[in-house]
Amino acid sequence: MSPNIHSLKKQSWFDKSLPVWLLLPTMLALLVVQVYPTLYTIWLSTQEHDAAGWKFVGLDNFERLITLNQFGESVGLTIVFLVFHVALTMLGGFITAFLLSRKIRFSGLFITLLFIPWVLSHVIVGFMFRLMVAPDYGVFTGYLMDPARFPPNGLSILTAVPPKPWIPGFPFPPAPAMWLLILASTWRALPFVTLLILAAIQMVPAEVVESSRIDGANNWQVIRHIVVPLILPTMVVAIFNVILNGMNGVAIIFTSTGGGPGTATQILSYLLYSIGWSRIQFGRAAALALIIALVNWALILATLRFTKIEEGHDQV
Amino acid sequence: MNGPSHSFWSGKSRWVIYGALITIVVLNMLPIALTLIVSFKTHEDIIRIPPQLFPCDTPTQAFDLSACRWSLEGYDRVLMLQPSQESFWGYDMTGKIVATYGGNTVLYAVVSSLFVVLFAATSGYAFSRYRFRGHNALLTGIIAITGVPLLTNLLALYQMGIGIRTLGLPYDDRVFIILVYVGFFLPLSVWIAKGFFDAIPRDLEEAAMIDGCSPLGALFRVTAPLAAPGMIAIFMLTFVNVWNEFLAGYLLVTKNANKPVMFGLYEFLGQNLVNLQVVAAACAIIAMPVVILFLFFRRHFFTAMVEGSVKG
Repeated sequence: MSPNIHSLKKQSWFDKSLPVWLLLPTMLALLVVQVYPTLYTIWLSTQEHDAAGWKFVGLDNFERLITLNQFGESVGLTIVFLVFHVALTMLGGFITAFLLSRKIRFSGLFITLLFIPWVLSHVIVGFMFRLMVAPDYGVFTGYLMDPARFPPNGLSILTAVPPKPWIPGFPFPPAPAMWLLILASTWRALPFVTLLILAAIQMVPAEVVESSRIDGANNWQVIRHIVVPLILPTMVVAIFNVILNGMNGVAIIFTSTGGGPGTATQILSYLLYSIGWSRIQFGRAAALALIIALVNWALILATLRFTKIEEGHDQV
Repeated sequence: MNGPSHSFWSGKSRWVIYGALITIVVLNMLPIALTLIVSFKTHEDIIRIPPQLFPCDTPTQAFDLSACRWSLEGYDRVLMLQPSQESFWGYDMTGKIVATYGGNTVLYAVVSSLFVVLFAATSGYAFSRYRFRGHNALLTGIIAITGVPLLTNLLALYQMGIGIRTLGLPYDDRVFIILVYVGFFLPLSVWIAKGFFDAIPRDLEEAAMIDGCSPLGALFRVTAPLAAPGMIAIFMLTFVNVWNEFLAGYLLVTKNANKPVMFGLYEFLGQNLVNLQVVAAACAIIAMPVVILFLFFRRHFFTAMVEGSVKG
């Protein structure tokens, strides 16, 4: 029944090579803005700039970077930031998605209101959280600076130094400013995770839930043994997305803590910015950039292996 | 958000759900509400120590609604309205945030989003409809690209900008930044577009081609209209991404007159460390367009996001 298209209409040379033309603009844009810069960064990581121009230094940049005191500290801070950021985001997203999965009145309104943070710029989010605790004039500053609540001098979130670490060399517990950064990043990431989990919960077949109920499962058992296993792949995708965005986000730090006090919130992405553009050591910054990119690639690879589904990630 | 409704919760728990959701929504809106409250305060109320939440206290009362000192001072200092004969509204907005940086950002966001939609549509279509050598390798490569953080590429793009400038070409950093935005936001959009095209049956195009349509004609006359909601979603997502992007605009654009609005906000923050009401007002003004866009097109945002993250 189905006639051969090619016999009906002779294909021109242009039509035959159509996929090439369709892909060409994208490939050119990606070559210039993504592939070339990545290769350049690899080259840059082996170079050092001096009066005579660029000079090949082998792996010196990596060595100097890793022996830098701030690097080790920054790795620790990044781990602390990511662990709490991911845990809070996943927990909050899971609870909110579960509450929203039940069809109730006004759920559309709830979803709309819950999603507004998702379209706000990290620059604005950082400032909004800074606004609450800004020295002297912040909305909560009066409450926090009361010596009766926080002896002896009150708590100044943005300037308080970190407490003595439990394990020497590992920045935990972090400075109050780090909690502010975690809170701000979590607030911004929550809508994304909530929507992913909500979409997955709604894909759980109703019959499976019904039949487990008939078998006498209670709410908790349905969630624990039916829903959680079924949405686990989505949770993993969400976790990797949150890690990726958290690790690479730097704008939110600019306007909330500025990496401070001291270096107390200087996670790796901010360290990269400060080595590159404050100290103008592009070779060393490139070395750090490659290390971060390798971690990202490992995470993406793990996601693909785990889910074997097509995925991108939230870049809003 | 119209999936099947599940009975994870028994009937009695309805009020618990309402209570919990309302609590979450209120906590969630708190940072926004506080910022808006600050944006409507006067400078005298901002610099009071200890700070008051509402500027509504009188010497005799802690809170008196009729005594509230709300003010548009912050907004006025961002917009800097000047009476003007030529303007349609009778006023010109002379504040740099809106007049200079805001205009730049609108330009960058609209132009980059149009290019991203066009390129993502054509390549998403090619990935969805054709099997060619290197098909899967290219798709995987596009995912690998998203693993390079923006900050990594900025090192090279920054050097590239310096290189082009020293060549003495008629160089415009507006063209450069638009190219950078297109390249940054394309990979995700290609995947989203491919997903949308995968969902459209091929039979329709084949029928059109049997009727004498060229493959390109079939794409634009038959498939493209069906894929329109997906393309709108990609446009919106890219528009918001470019609007909110900070670091590339901050580092790659050298001429102050060409800088985008997020740079303007950052600069403003440095200039107004004590004038919190002015910065809060600037945040409200800058966030307004994308929030309104989101409220009108939220369904498109949701599809684009789910499509881009958990396809399959």
